[in-house]
Amino acid sequence: MKKALVIQEDIIILNILERLVTLNHYECRAIRSLNDLNIEDQQVNFDIIISDILFDGISPLDFVFQIQEIILHKSLIIVTNMGQLNVRLEVLASKNVDGFFAVPLNMNLIEKLIA
Amino acid sequence: MINIFLIVLIKIFAVVLIMLWVTIGVSIVYRRRRTKNLLLIEKTFAEVISKHLYPYPGEELSLVEIQRIFRNVGIIPSKPRNVQYLIDLMIRTQRSLLGENYEKLVVLFNQIPPYGASVSKLKSTKWYVKARGIREIYEMDQTRYVKEVIKERNNRNIYVRREAQIAMVIFLGWESLRFLSYLKREMTLWQQIKIVEKLHDLYPEPNLQYLRRAYESEKTYANELIMRIIRKFNLITEVDYILQFVDNRNFDTRESAIYCISSFYLSNSQLKLLKEKYFKVPNVSQQIQLLKYIDKISFDKDLEFYKKLLYTADDIIKLSTAEILWNNGYKEEVQEFYYQQYTNQSLKVEDSL
Repeated sequence: MKKALVIQEDIIILNILERLVTLNHYECRAIRSLNDLNIEDQQVNFDIIISDILFDGISPLDFVFQIQEIILHKSLIIVTNMGQLNVRLEVLASKNVDGFFAVPLNMNLIEKLIA
Repeated sequence: MINIFLIVLIKIFAVVLIMLWVTIGVSIVYRRRRTKNLLLIEKTFAEVISKHLYPYPGEELSLVEIQRIFRNVGIIPSKPRNVQYLIDLMIRTQRSLLGENYEKLVVLFNQIPPYGASVSKLKSTKWYVKARGIREIYEMDQTRYVKEVIKERNNRNIYVRREAQIAMVIFLGWESLRFLSYLKREMTLWQQIKIVEKLHDLYPEPNLQYLRRAYESEKTYANELIMRIIRKFNLITEVDYILQFVDNRNFDTRESAIYCISSFYLSNSQLKLLKEKYFKVPNVSQQIQLLKYIDKISFDKDLEFYKKLLYTADDIIKLSTAEILWNNGYKEEVQEFYYQQYTNQSLKVEDSL
């Protein structure tokens, strides 16, 4: 079974994404911030990570780099409240980001991307 | 005697201190429980919504079940603050989703109980409650209350009518412009901008039929609003409407007209008209703005127009005109003007020597 990791501070979006991912035949781990990550998680090679970029004490771009460094994964999708154009461009320019969705968003697009 | 007095004083002091501690304690406990309660509501809400949008096979929630779940976490009419919290959560969720899910949520929120809370707010006598009710209705896209909301468009309180007018734009789109002539009170600049933005976000396809009908309105705020709409939607065919307000008597109307026209290029006849109107603008700084704009959009410089300015207008305008002429290679004209200015005086200087 494919494995997915969802990181979202907003619990409503987190729950919706968790279900969406699970319904698309992934084994899903849903957490609210990187602090909730445990040691086992860090040894898993996730097929997909769906993450926010807005967290306390770290800039969006640094967060993307941090994820790329500490968690093994195949693709990374950003779902965030922070949809300003410059942030979007910066994050997309950093490579290895496969999608950037800012709220309001259509979940069907994410579904297409991960199916 | 003094001893007794002191003891009484200490007693009073001790009582006050203990009361203070008790209050602090109670407040800490209350807040802790309240936060826990709100977190529980949020978590339950998140679960219900996600289950409703993406149910696992055989796990679909019925409406009755959803209502029961909410009742169990304290969403009941006798606890209005819990209900309010739930409404805020609903608005937040609806704002972050689009497409199919959004439609599903509109239907759901129409059916679950706390919704009536927003409409009953419209009956309140307090303006902030009323305004909040209207906002909740339009944020949650509850179309069936359009009538009740539109009634408030002329409300005495600026915030209530502001929310009602925004709701009208959201629900009716371009058609809402037909109410423009019937508004009884002024509309602030901020309100105009907000309406234009909402219109652009939600109804990006301009409907000229309704717009042109609103042209007949004679109210200043209506004129300004229409000009802003023309600018925002880049309606090149409607530039003539803006043009007619460039030399309006009202300072703010002129200001909006100059601001709005600056984002368009004009045809030759329009440019000619603008130059005629230029001399009727009664404010120097606005004239300078216009002068810069005319310079920006005209490919061949109209020497006659500039010369007229150079010899008749205000000093600051003369300076700007000279700058434009000089930068476009008409140095002789500027020099000629410069020398004719000083002929008499220079003679005088020589005399005194």
